[in-house]
Amino acid sequence: MFREVLLVEDSPGDVRLTREAFRDVNTSVHLHVATDGVEAMAFLRREGAYVHAPRPDFILLDLNLPKMDGREVLARIKKDDSLKTIPTVILTTSEAEADVANSYRLQANCYLNKPVRFDAFESLVKSINDFWLTKVKLPPQAQSG
Amino acid sequence: MRSNRIKMKARRSPPAAAIRDLSMPDATEKHLAQMESKYHGLLEAAPDAMVVVNQGGDIVLLNLQAEKQFGYRRDELLGQKVTNIIPEGFAERLIADDLRSAEDALAQQIGSGIELIGRRKDGGEFPIELMLSPLESAEGILVTAAIRDISARKTDEKHLAQMESKYRGLLEAAPDAMVVVNQSGDIVLLNLQAEKQFGYRRDELLGQKVTNIIPVGFAERLIADDLRSAEDASAQQIETGIELIGRRKDGDEFPIEIMLSPLESAEGTLVTAAIRNISVRKAAEMHLAQMQGKYRGLLEAAPDAMVVVSQGGDIVLLNLQAEKQFGYRRDELLGQKVTNIIPVGFAERLIADDLRSTEDALAQQIGTGIELTGLRKDGGEFPIEIMLSPLESAEGTLVTAAIRNISVRKAAEMHLAQMEGRYRGLLEAAPDAMVVVNQSGEIVLLNVQAEKQFGYRRDELLGQQVTNIIPVGFAERLIADDLRSAEDASAQQIGAGIELIACRKDGSEFPIELMLSPLRNSEGILVTAAIRDISVRKKAAVVLLQKVEELNRSNEELGQFAYLASHDLQEPLRMVASYTQLLSRRYKGKLDADADEFIAFAVDGASRMQRLIHDLLAYSRVGTKGKDLIETSSEDALQQALVNLRGAIEESGALVTHDPLPAVLADEMQLIQLFQNLIGNAIKYQSPGVPRVHISAARASGKKWNFSVKDNGLGIDPQYFERIFGMFQRLHKRDEFAGTGIGLAICKKIVERHGGRIWVESQPGEGSTFRFALAGR
Amino acid sequence: MPMEVLLIEDSLGDVRLTQEAFRDANTYIHLHVATNGVAAMAFLRREGVHSQAPRPDFIVLDLNLPKMDGREVLAHINEDYDLKTIPTIILTTSEAEADILKSYQLQANCYLNKPVRLDAFETIVKSINHFWMTMAKLPTQAISE
Repeated sequence: MFREVLLVEDSPGDVRLTREAFRDVNTSVHLHVATDGVEAMAFLRREGAYVHAPRPDFILLDLNLPKMDGREVLARIKKDDSLKTIPTVILTTSEAEADVANSYRLQANCYLNKPVRFDAFESLVKSINDFWLTKVKLPPQAQSG
Repeated sequence: MRSNRIKMKARRSPPAAAIRDLSMPDATEKHLAQMESKYHGLLEAAPDAMVVVNQGGDIVLLNLQAEKQFGYRRDELLGQKVTNIIPEGFAERLIADDLRSAEDALAQQIGSGIELIGRRKDGGEFPIELMLSPLESAEGILVTAAIRDISARKTDEKHLAQMESKYRGLLEAAPDAMVVVNQSGDIVLLNLQAEKQFGYRRDELLGQKVTNIIPVGFAERLIADDLRSAEDASAQQIETGIELIGRRKDGDEFPIEIMLSPLESAEGTLVTAAIRNISVRKAAEMHLAQMQGKYRGLLEAAPDAMVVVSQGGDIVLLNLQAEKQFGYRRDELLGQKVTNIIPVGFAERLIADDLRSTEDALAQQIGTGIELTGLRKDGGEFPIEIMLSPLESAEGTLVTAAIRNISVRKAAEMHLAQMEGRYRGLLEAAPDAMVVVNQSGEIVLLNVQAEKQFGYRRDELLGQQVTNIIPVGFAERLIADDLRSAEDASAQQIGAGIELIACRKDGSEFPIELMLSPLRNSEGILVTAAIRDISVRKKAAVVLLQKVEELNRSNEELGQFAYLASHDLQEPLRMVASYTQLLSRRYKGKLDADADEFIAFAVDGASRMQRLIHDLLAYSRVGTKGKDLIETSSEDALQQALVNLRGAIEESGALVTHDPLPAVLADEMQLIQLFQNLIGNAIKYQSPGVPRVHISAARASGKKWNFSVKDNGLGIDPQYFERIFGMFQRLHKRDEFAGTGIGLAICKKIVERHGGRIWVESQPGEGSTFRFALAGR
Repeated sequence: MPMEVLLIEDSLGDVRLTQEAFRDANTYIHLHVATNGVAAMAFLRREGVHSQAPRPDFIVLDLNLPKMDGREVLAHINEDYDLKTIPTIILTTSEAEADILKSYQLQANCYLNKPVRLDAFETIVKSINHFWMTMAKLPTQAISE
């Protein structure tokens, strides 16, 4: 089955790496990218250019974003009854405990550190794919609102 | 009887004519006439009225006194019945009756005075006393009656009787025993009290010798001797109480005091004795004497010299100590003026003057010690302290003086004064300002440093409140309150430096440190305060604080810098490393061999750089991300480290063992890191065979623990023992062992942050033991 | 630093299997078991006999429980300011979409089906362990390697 994954990430390098990593493990992943928080919200709300955007099955969210950072995006997602059921996993270089605690408080589904080493990064993406996109039961697409 | 009358007349001129009845025979008549004439002479000479009466009651003879007394002429009475002149009571006595003979009848009267009534010619009656005596004659027994007119006596007697009854009333009423004694020492009168006191019935004592009840001392006094009359004899005793011994009927003796007073009576001077039982008083006196004896004992036993002085200033009593102290024998001082031994200051105090009574005079001294000078027999003087107390006695108020030789104390006081002088010297020499304060907070002493420091002259501060120079924090400490005494109040401060603010004369303030110490003297507790100006120290402290803050800030900045640097460095590095890897992966073999090699170097370089930065970050985090040291289970930390090293352990097949490990004060994360690095190294730098690592801990001095991580690896050459703990120091080539060389530097930083030290014991080829010390609980 | 995991599961057989699977994967897990919703809540709220209970780092929750079912437990957790930050994953036999949706609405971190086959069950548990215990950052755990 196809998986619509929204990657909210401002580093093009990381975007490409993510894409490559996913490609290696799961070719059924459709990776959508938003490079800042505003864009992410527009995509999720299907506003503007994103009117025809698909609803993501899964969101990978970096915290450090321009315009509107990932923390705010997370907060907005989880306050929105129609969006809050989408599993939103933080994927960030920040190891700050405060960020971890805060993210869970905002009801992030999970928090992951972006590994420094590429092989570890690949491994992580693999795990994400294995767990979230294969084993986990994601919420059904058809929803009210 | 006319013939008799006539005969009587004739007899008047010639003496001693006997009364003759013409019917008598002549021979006896002659004898009788002789007798009669002798008798007749006596008769006439008698002072009393004399009448001779025959058994028929006829008057046969009478004398001139009788004529006078009764108012008759002789011839009017001769031959008449005696009842003419003594109507009753006489004639009857003459009658012999069946029960007794004439002699007997008379005999009962002989010698005793009989009181009757006489009747004169004019009919007037008067009391008489008769004294009868028999007279043998030819005519039979005649009775001679001496007749005494006892009118006066009777009046007296009546008066006396009246007096006596009145007196008797008084006598009976008297509280004391009263006994009236005549000059022969016979008890003529006594009262009920006397009966009770002596245990006799009245009739048992009346007429008895007073010596029965007062054996000695009374009767003698009644005797008039050549030197003095009865009056005189008793006069000498009148009014004064005489102490004698009384004797009861049962033989018991008891002390008495008698007060004598004369009593004139018909019988002569009687003596009334009021007899007071003074047993109680005597007992009291004995008790007092005992007391005095005891007091005397106390006096002797007293450690101090004791002297009892009368109000006249005479020494009435003294003890052995007094003798010793003043160098006199007792008899040399008794009765002497107290001024002999205490020339000045004592005797004056005894004097009551117009302004105050003795009690007051003394009262002012009672209880307080008065310092005076004592004078010995040898003339030597010595300082004394006297304590006075009053002593009531029969002689009036006496004063007991306890006299204490205070030579030693005086010497001590002088010594103390000298000491104070020396102390004063020390005070002046002290480098710090010194101020001595009394418990009221007044400055009693200060030194020149204090003058300088506070900008005052000495006299401007002496006597002033210390709050003038130290407004807050000092004076309060001096106050003894209910909870603590003065000693406690100052004791709490003794030794500890107290930081306060002091105030100069010009009003400027400066910080001081106060060191208090107590000083005892005769005035009580004083507090010596050493006052140190700590402005400089304070400033230095402020500077230090500032520097520390700066340091902290720069540390923080450094940490932030290190973090940001490495974090920001990480990202581009990640790109380089990741893409070169992707390149390598994607294009290996697809480009030429050079390209492969180039890419390989690039990948390697980037990876190393990543690791370096990662390690640098880890190193900087030891300081910046370090948490407070709390009690931590080192065993738990080890376990987590082993979990983290699971992969490496499994891969190498290493055997990791450990002893029970203690709780230590640590940052848990860092402790895990420490173990992880050391054990990781132990596994990494292995020699052939199974790597074995053993972790243990042993108690060290203080509360420290020495941990050991022992391996059987390659070992380290001693010359490198220091270097290996340096940053990025490696002993091996890159291709031999992976690693940036920062692991041990991180270990060192962690251990040092924990206040410990890390070192290694090793020999090449013999494994290594890394040891580090951490503080326990 | 053992990880405290609360397993809310009424099937003792499943409990045992879970225990074994976790043990093989990670010896550093303290597994606490509540066999019904009431006991689970008491444990989480540290009531009564559970006054000294540790706060779980992670909750594995079955939906079908006696006394108080897992849905209610999830609702309670979600309402509780302190408890809702604890990553809570649903591991249940129910495949009902309503259950899945509801669980995500109640902010379950993720939803997993309990496989019927033993090896699959083990795999699931191991993947939970792998992802959540080793890859993910949990709120109470901060950095490390």
